[in-house]
Amino acid sequence: MLPQLPDLVASLLQQMGIYLVVAYLLSRTPLFLPLMRVSVRWRHKLACYAIFSVFCIMGIHIGMPVGGARANTPAIGAVLGGLLGGPVVGLAVGITAGIHRFLLGGSFALAAAIDIVVQGLLGGLTHRYLISRGRVRRLFSPALAAAITGIGILIELAIDLALVRPFGEALHTVSLIALPEFVANTLGAALFMSILIDRRSLLEEQSSAFSTKALRIAARADGLLRGGFDRENSSRVAQIIYEETGVGAVAITDREKILAFIGIGDDHHLPGTPISSPQTQDAIARNEVFFADGNEVAYACSIRRGCPLGSTLVIPLAGEDRRVIGTIKLYEPKSRIFSTINRALGEGIAKLLSAQILAGRYERQKALLAQSEIKLLQAQVSPHFLFNALNTIAAVIRTDPERARQLVHSLSAFFRKNLKRAGEEATLGDELEHVEAYLRIEMARFAGNLEVEVDVAEEFRHVRLPAFSLQPVVENAIKHGTSQLLGGGRVRICAAREGRDLLLSVEDNAGLYEERSPGDGLGMAIVDRRIRARHGDAYGVRVECERDAVTRVILRVPLETVPA
Amino acid sequence: MMRVLIVDDEPLARQELRILLAEAPDVQVIGECGNAIEAIGAINREAPDVVFLDIQMPRVSGLEMLSMLDPERMPRVVFLTAHDEYAVQAFEGSAFDYLLKPADPERLRKTLQRLRRDRPPQDMSALKGASELRRIPCTGVNRITLVPLEEVESIVSRPGGVYVVCADGQERFTELTLNTLQERSGFIRCHRQHLVNPDRVREIRLIEGGVAEVRTAGGGIVPVSRRFLGPLKARLSIE
Repeated sequence: MLPQLPDLVASLLQQMGIYLVVAYLLSRTPLFLPLMRVSVRWRHKLACYAIFSVFCIMGIHIGMPVGGARANTPAIGAVLGGLLGGPVVGLAVGITAGIHRFLLGGSFALAAAIDIVVQGLLGGLTHRYLISRGRVRRLFSPALAAAITGIGILIELAIDLALVRPFGEALHTVSLIALPEFVANTLGAALFMSILIDRRSLLEEQSSAFSTKALRIAARADGLLRGGFDRENSSRVAQIIYEETGVGAVAITDREKILAFIGIGDDHHLPGTPISSPQTQDAIARNEVFFADGNEVAYACSIRRGCPLGSTLVIPLAGEDRRVIGTIKLYEPKSRIFSTINRALGEGIAKLLSAQILAGRYERQKALLAQSEIKLLQAQVSPHFLFNALNTIAAVIRTDPERARQLVHSLSAFFRKNLKRAGEEATLGDELEHVEAYLRIEMARFAGNLEVEVDVAEEFRHVRLPAFSLQPVVENAIKHGTSQLLGGGRVRICAAREGRDLLLSVEDNAGLYEERSPGDGLGMAIVDRRIRARHGDAYGVRVECERDAVTRVILRVPLETVPA
Repeated sequence: MMRVLIVDDEPLARQELRILLAEAPDVQVIGECGNAIEAIGAINREAPDVVFLDIQMPRVSGLEMLSMLDPERMPRVVFLTAHDEYAVQAFEGSAFDYLLKPADPERLRKTLQRLRRDRPPQDMSALKGASELRRIPCTGVNRITLVPLEEVESIVSRPGGVYVVCADGQERFTELTLNTLQERSGFIRCHRQHLVNPDRVREIRLIEGGVAEVRTAGGGIVPVSRRFLGPLKARLSIE
């Protein structure tokens, strides 16, 4: 007894339902990921082939025998395999399932096998056609899937009529299965494709929401913690994270206490109080992320029993050498579930903040170093110079009190300049005054044994350069140069223009400069570094030395500095 | 009478000290020197009782200068320094005295008092580390060349003075005495007038009559007298 047509349609659609449920469930797994985009990678193609072969064979079995034929749905798997995987995948799916169908037997065996192969090929050719037209997105259209599957069914019916004998029996069977197969297959293909694209857009939405949030937090929090990992900056960062992630509460702690707390429970989670939660202490001690969802891993506020917070994520902030310097904590109240997006975001934020804190420390250390370098340049002159100067003045007082008075003035001018200039920058005029005061003392010290010539045009005196650039160089010229001569020493300071640069040269007639002679290098190296830091590597200090004849130290600085 | 030499590279500092010393009736300043090289010559010539010695001086510091003096005829040394860094630490508690510049007259009186009392020569051991001779100061016109010991082949004493013979064959004048050099440098006396650097000896050629000559690495010939041939061989571990 052959089944009646309406029953056939209904039961085929019923079975179609099972088929789609399986498809839907599988779409929730990573197995389906390769199907969601057109890929040329062979691994993706292989996955595509395997999955659609399974669906195609499943389609053969879901269905019912009608005479020598089966009213069933292998066309969906074959056509979609071809559409998404291309002609080769389509053909491979068709052949695999076709062989399977042939082995099941029945008068329609051969015809049905050929049907499946042809349907796979049809999907594959459509794929190739659309790709060559650059219309990739249309491949994922449910309507197209339905249309191609419909055409596949029509071809199938024609092949059945052509191959199956006796013709009369074939015609009767075909007339019975034509409608149910057409309806079930086109509908099934369209729904299958819908499941795929739903899944894809869901994933894209999630990841784009994630990226948007992450980028917004990064942009808003940028640079905040560079100013220092303290309460004020932390609470600003916590506020941003609280607003952007929408979690119940956000806390930032250092190793001992809460620096910031914003959100639900801020009435008893108070900034400035020591860390009380064992989870946080644990996260700090082990340098590990701690997550308590409130279900599997219990979480309870360690401060107050009635606290509405029900789940927490604690992430350590890593500083230098991966040492933990604090934590960031996200909370959700008991009424809400901690979303996985926020969990991943939290870890990203922690990395971002760690990097910022580190960068901030580095910057502050650099600034401190620059400060101490100036101090070093200032201090380098002190004791020997001072006591020798006082000794000289003591001697001069006997013979020439007026000159001694002038020397006292020079000495105080020198020290005032030395101590007072806290600024980073000075004019060449300032520098020369400093150096001239210094030289007046040294000339008195060495009496007739030191000659000094300063030849700097008035127009250069406004040129700006790092403070304390000139004095250490001149001091070197005397200390390691002229004062080592048995005869008379000469120091010459002059300035010349070269293009847009100013060349300041300090010359002595000793010619005793040696690279890295102890004590010699430090002052000069700092001067060089500071000029480079300010004006770039095209500038700095250069030394020329003719042995036993002349040492010339040349400072190159730009004539015009852009006013800051 | 205490005969004093002032060594300082600053004329005004020398003048100041001279004036301060003039207040002591038993002190006679026999000279002033502006650098260590002049001072070595003056000390060798004048044999002062006391040297007031600045530490910071051109090329050869006061400390290094001590290593260039004849240990047999060492004057007593009072250091002068502007700033009490390493020098003061080195002399603290030793027999040496030091004065800080600008010198306090009261402090100077005490120093002189000690000098009058303790006539015997000072203990040099405190300066052992600092007083090893590593380079020989040689004077040219307005220049001092400091020749490292390892570059010296031999040293010769002539009527005009002591000369250092270098590997390039050049001879350079030095104020140091042959005795000082023999004591401080580790060179070997091979002749009444010659010292040779044992590290530079390449060949000893025996000549009739018990004399010999040394050929140095630089190709120079240094005579060896009969009296010194034995000791020379012993030092070079020959025989």
